[in-house]
Amino acid sequence: MKLPDKTLQNQFAWRAWALVVALLAAATGFGFLWEPHVSLASQAMLYVLAVVIASYTLEPLASVACALGAVTAFNFFFVPPRWTFEVDNQQNLISLVTLLVVALVVSRLAADLRQKTASAHLSASRARQMQSLSAALAEAASPQAMLGLGQAALAQAFDGPIAIALRSEDGALVFPDDLPQELAPTVRDGMLTCMREAAPLGPGTGRWPGLNAWYIPLGLATQMQGAACIQHISAADQAGREHAVALCGLLAQALWRMKLAADMQAAQSQAQRQQVQSTFLAAISHDLRTPLAAVLGAASALQSQGDKLGATQQHALQDSIIREARYLSSLTENTLQLLQLTNAAQPLRRSWESMEEVVGAVLGRMRPRDLLHRITAKVPQGLPLVEADPVLLAQLLDNLLDNALKYSDGPITVVVSSAAGAMHLSVKDRGAEIAPEVRVQLFQPYARGDQGGPHGSGLGLALCLAIATAHGADLNWMARPGGGNHFRFSLPLSVAQPISEEA
Amino acid sequence: MSLHLLLVEDDREIRTMVQTSLSVEGFEVQTAVSLSEARALLQHRLPDVVLLDLGLPDGDGLELVLHIRKQHTLPILIISARHQEAQKITLLDAGADDYLAKPFSVGELMARIRVALRHRGTSLAAAVTEHALDGLNIDLGLRTIRLHGEPVHLTPTEFKLLARLVRSAGRVVTHRQLLADVWGAEFTEHTHYLRLYMGQLRAKIERDPAEPRHLLTETGVGYRLAVT
Repeated sequence: MKLPDKTLQNQFAWRAWALVVALLAAATGFGFLWEPHVSLASQAMLYVLAVVIASYTLEPLASVACALGAVTAFNFFFVPPRWTFEVDNQQNLISLVTLLVVALVVSRLAADLRQKTASAHLSASRARQMQSLSAALAEAASPQAMLGLGQAALAQAFDGPIAIALRSEDGALVFPDDLPQELAPTVRDGMLTCMREAAPLGPGTGRWPGLNAWYIPLGLATQMQGAACIQHISAADQAGREHAVALCGLLAQALWRMKLAADMQAAQSQAQRQQVQSTFLAAISHDLRTPLAAVLGAASALQSQGDKLGATQQHALQDSIIREARYLSSLTENTLQLLQLTNAAQPLRRSWESMEEVVGAVLGRMRPRDLLHRITAKVPQGLPLVEADPVLLAQLLDNLLDNALKYSDGPITVVVSSAAGAMHLSVKDRGAEIAPEVRVQLFQPYARGDQGGPHGSGLGLALCLAIATAHGADLNWMARPGGGNHFRFSLPLSVAQPISEEA
Repeated sequence: MSLHLLLVEDDREIRTMVQTSLSVEGFEVQTAVSLSEARALLQHRLPDVVLLDLGLPDGDGLELVLHIRKQHTLPILIISARHQEAQKITLLDAGADDYLAKPFSVGELMARIRVALRHRGTSLAAAVTEHALDGLNIDLGLRTIRLHGEPVHLTPTEFKLLARLVRSAGRVVTHRQLLADVWGAEFTEHTHYLRLYMGQLRAKIERDPAEPRHLLTETGVGYRLAVT
């Protein structure tokens, strides 16, 4: 498939001629060696054998030369009168002519066979290349990566320079990130033209046969993805052109599939965002009214009736204002955070975090709300670090503890453990087990265990689930043996822990 | 003479609330609603403390912090909403002294201001080298750490880390500041060093490392050595 360079070619020619001479010398040598035992016809067969070997291994020119040399040598060394080029009788002349014809026919047949074998090898290796490109494209993560694979496949199959590019929205060429972008104007024009005409250009394609390159579009007219250019090709290489078109077709299909998948995902997340936002609006307006009414009522009572109220009553109203305002504040935090998390454009700010620290920070914040010291934490020493957004982890634990404080009496336990490649964070209470009909929508925004009880965070568990999902982690509820609820957050641990060497 | 405080805050309610409660505590409070107004007031008279809200209409506050830090060491406290970690950290690294997350209580605000004033001028006056709270006694000069009278042995890195926090006792120190001061400027992204060494320090000086009394975590921002 590839043409060797000039010096290599010379070397091959030199070796071919040496092999011709060696084969003829060997045939002559054996002819003399076996002379006492064999006839003239058998000696001729030795030369035929030499011609067959030469034809199968060498270029046609060398094999013809070998055939002629064989006849000459046979005549000179063995045909009487020996040691001359003369032929003494008609029978020997016929032998010589027959040998010549047989040698030439054999050389031609062997050359044909050789060519067929070579072309079978070539198409097998091209089929293998198609397969491996197809497998590699299936794993590629981006159009740029696909383009790189296509470029590599074409470069492997052809010797000339390869140019490959994607088509941008406005029809211009976009090149792979890591490949040089300087193109001759003719190459650039050729690529643009073949995309516009949605058909290959160049020798053998029936379009622009005068070019010295093939220009192959990536995709059909309505799904044009880009174009490829293969230079320094031969017009007669039809199989090569078909292979190039097939490789480009494979690449175009993969690019198109990726574009469809990306479009679909964008549409889905857009729809999901809109749904989340409308749920929020409906629910927020409901959840804001109650606490706002309470704050307004208490504050206006203090303002207008302050003198008539006793100290205890005034305190109760103030407490109510602070409690409701705090609830509004946590509702706002959760809402904003949930909206942010459902906005796919905002990536997580992950860093290496210690669960001990996250738990410690949250407990520090919770204590003022946990005057009876109901929460206890069990965090073993020497836990591995987790790769997570610490603010979100803290908020998850905050919400779980907040719920446990509100909806249960008695002790609440926070347990951290690492097992089976994951970090587990559990919050366990001894409250009433969540009813089966509530469980199914436990993690939905604005589902709440007990509508008549104290304010739920409304969004609390929905946000917890969103935080877990954003981290690729699981959040599960399970009944606790002996009564109560157990929420467990399980975060897969990164395989590689950061290097802890002392600097 | 009463202390003079400049409050830069665009929300009228919070401005009124802070002004009222700080006046009761004996502060003389001057207010600005924008960064440009704050700059004008600063030229006129230098306050003892600046309270700066994040998210002002005419800028993000960084410029003001840099402007003040060019000439003065007066304490700057940032008031921020939660989830503004990135901005907070930028301002702390640029020279702000501490931050307070909304919603905050007047009690918290007073505590932060007291700590900030205690550290005022530390770059000129003698730095804080001693710390004592709840049975923990640290003397950086003598390089001794005692917990309920018992000596605590720290590795050199643990000591450097603790010493850095003692020098800013009561104030938040960002991850970047700690990494740069203890390990060196090229290690400012290696936050996992902090997780590991803080874990070791807590194991040595905290009664319950999972609920620290001394070495407090400011989630996503840095650490703070408790003073109260």
